[in-house]
This record gives sequence, structure tokens and C-alpha cells, in this order.
Amino acid sequence: MSESSLAELLAQVAAGQGEALRRIYERQSVRLFGVANAILRDRDQAADALHTAFLSIQRRAGQYDPARGAAEAWLGTVVRNAALDIIRARGRETPTDDPTLGDTAVEPEALSALEAIETGARLRQCLEGLPEKNRRGIVLAFVHGLSHPQIAERLELPLGTVKTWIRRGLLSLRECLA
Amino acid sequence: MTPEERDLLAGEYALGTLTAAEAQAVEAAMANDPALAAQVLDWQRRLAPLTVLAAPEAPPPGLWARIEASLNPAPPPRARAPWLTRFWALGATAVAAGLAVVVLTRQPAPPPGPLMTVLLTDREAPAFLVEADRRDGEIRLAALNNRPVPEGRVRQLWALPQGATAPTSLGLVPEDGRISVRHADIRPEPGMLIEITLEPPGGSPIGRPTGPVLFIGRLLPARGT
Repeated sequence: MSESSLAELLAQVAAGQGEALRRIYERQSVRLFGVANAILRDRDQAADALHTAFLSIQRRAGQYDPARGAAEAWLGTVVRNAALDIIRARGRETPTDDPTLGDTAVEPEALSALEAIETGARLRQCLEGLPEKNRRGIVLAFVHGLSHPQIAERLELPLGTVKTWIRRGLLSLRECLA
Repeated sequence: MTPEERDLLAGEYALGTLTAAEAQAVEAAMANDPALAAQVLDWQRRLAPLTVLAAPEAPPPGLWARIEASLNPAPPPRARAPWLTRFWALGATAVAAGLAVVVLTRQPAPPPGPLMTVLLTDREAPAFLVEADRRDGEIRLAALNNRPVPEGRVRQLWALPQGATAPTSLGLVPEDGRISVRHADIRPEPGMLIEITLEPPGGSPIGRPTGPVLFIGRLLPARGT
């Protein structure tokens, strides 16, 4: 018997099968805890984010539409929104000189991880088409939840320049993914 | 603000670079502006694969137990029909007699119960109530918190049966947010996705959604039936 896909498990959660949510947790919690902790850099708060996110997944599983993207990506967005809510509530005092704030995710070879999910390959191509600083700014913001001023500090660039580059990067991505 | 600037603001919100105050302003605007909410959803979809770049890390042990303790209880399983319960209650030796009783006393199977879903915005605010009658195929939509539609656009209602590859249009949603439809090819069933997209005047010209999904939900048996 083949294992149910994440999309099938989400459909089961939507149908009220509590067991399916636990199976999603078993399969995805290590990855999803990583998503929350990359943004919050605080294990207690990352656990709170994952807790909120799983309650949200239980309520909203019926909204997941496989035709509109991979289940991994949908789960990641729910967790990321929970983490961003926490980081905004605490006023973003996350230090940017934290040594655990790796740049690894920004390196081009790290982008190959995107191939692991269905919609990621195209995004990788589009990101690789961006100038390096635009790409770094977007990945640092998304993966580590850095604000404009924090990215400016990190990349040692004026704030205005960072804003402009990220906007340009977003526009190119939108065009490339269209 | 130009349309381009609005879309970039939606992109920056999804990316997470806005300050807390700016993000709050976008959230407040989204509640009254379905087009902006749809743009944010589109950006979240575009960028979502990036979540795989975060380094995996094991959560603290005991986190699942904490989550499980706070989950809503699952909806109760639907009650067995009484005649069937009585049938099972009979001893094995009485099966034949039981069958006779069943044949004599069995009521017609109850009609399949109604289905419903609440279409939510991506911030989980309830937006529309959808009820479907499995006997006659009627699907009714009622706005819970009707909002003005952006000028020059219309809302279109779609159904996507499980296993189907493309949604079927159920028609345009009137200004008052209420519509009742029966479609020859659509039989409401549990698991069917219902969604509302933003489309050009007159509806999608190509018979499938062209605009952003504003609201979406999945039909399930109404509780308590």
C-alpha cells in the first residue's frame, strides 16, 4: 500500500479525520519547525508558531487546492504567516549579527533544493536570472524574515537602494513566473 | 498609488519586509479590498517554494502533544441508521428473523443530508456561506460580509468536483452577494471545492478562471444531520 500524499492527507484533515493531521506533523514538522526558526531564531517562539500553524491547518485544510501549488508550499506559507505574526508583534528586534543567521540559503547551489517541490523548479530558474544582490535580498527577506533596514545592514547597502532592488527583483520574478 | 505600486506593496507584504505598522495597514486594507487580498495571495503562491530553503530542525519533543491537546474535537461520526443498529443488536441465531424484521420495518433510506462550507478570505475571515442540497442539486451562496467589487470586475462562482481537472462555472455573483443555482453537470458532493474568482465584465471569456481566487472552501456534510 503506497503512502498517502500530503495533498491526500490534507483532504482527510478537511473531512475531519484527526489522524491525518498527526501524520502531516510526523512528516513535515522538522522542515516546518526549520521554516519558523529561520525567521524567529528562538526555539520557544518557533514552537508557538508551529502550534498556531497546525491549528490553522486543521481549520483551513479544505482551502488547499492541489491545482494551485504543492502541498509543501501551502504548509510552508501557513507556518511562515504564523512566524511573521509573532515577529511583527515583538517589533522585529531580531539581531542581524546572529552567527546562526546563515547565508547558505542564498548561495546559488542551495537553490537546487527548490527542485524538490513541484512549483520550485521554475522559481529557481527565475531567481537565477536575477542580479545577485536582488536575489540575496529576496531570499534573506523570505527565509529569515528580515526587514528592509536589516537587509540593508546585512548587505552593507543604503536602505533606499535595498528597497529599490527588492522591488526590482519582485517585478522581474512576477514577469518571469507569468 | 498606481496599480503597479499596489501590486508591489502586496509583494512586499507577502515577502515580509514591511514594518509592523505598514503590514498592519496592508491587512486593514485587505479586509475591504478583495483585489488587494487576491494580489497578496498570488504573491504568497509565487514565493511559497522558497520555504524549502530554510534549514530543517527538529521541534522540541512534546510539541505534538501540546498541539493535540488544543485541537478542536473532530466532528462526531454520523449516526448509524436506527434500523441497522437494531439489526446488529440481534444475536447471530436471530439473523434470519432479524432480516425479516428489517424488511418489514425498514424505512426508505434517509435522503442524503445537506452540504455546506464557509468560504474564507486568506486571513480566515468568513466571507460567504455555501449550502448545497444533494437531492435537487441546488447550490446557494450568501455573502456574510458583502464588500464592494473593484470597478470593472465581477465575481464568478465555480465548482470543482473531486477528481475533475478544471472547475465549472456556476455563474456570476450578483452585487448583493446572493445566488442560487442548479447546474445540469454539477452534483454537489462532499469534498467538492467551491471558489469565487475576480473576472472581467461578463465573466471569464475562456470558460475557466482567469483572475485571482478571492475565496475558496470545500463542501462537507452539514453537522448535526
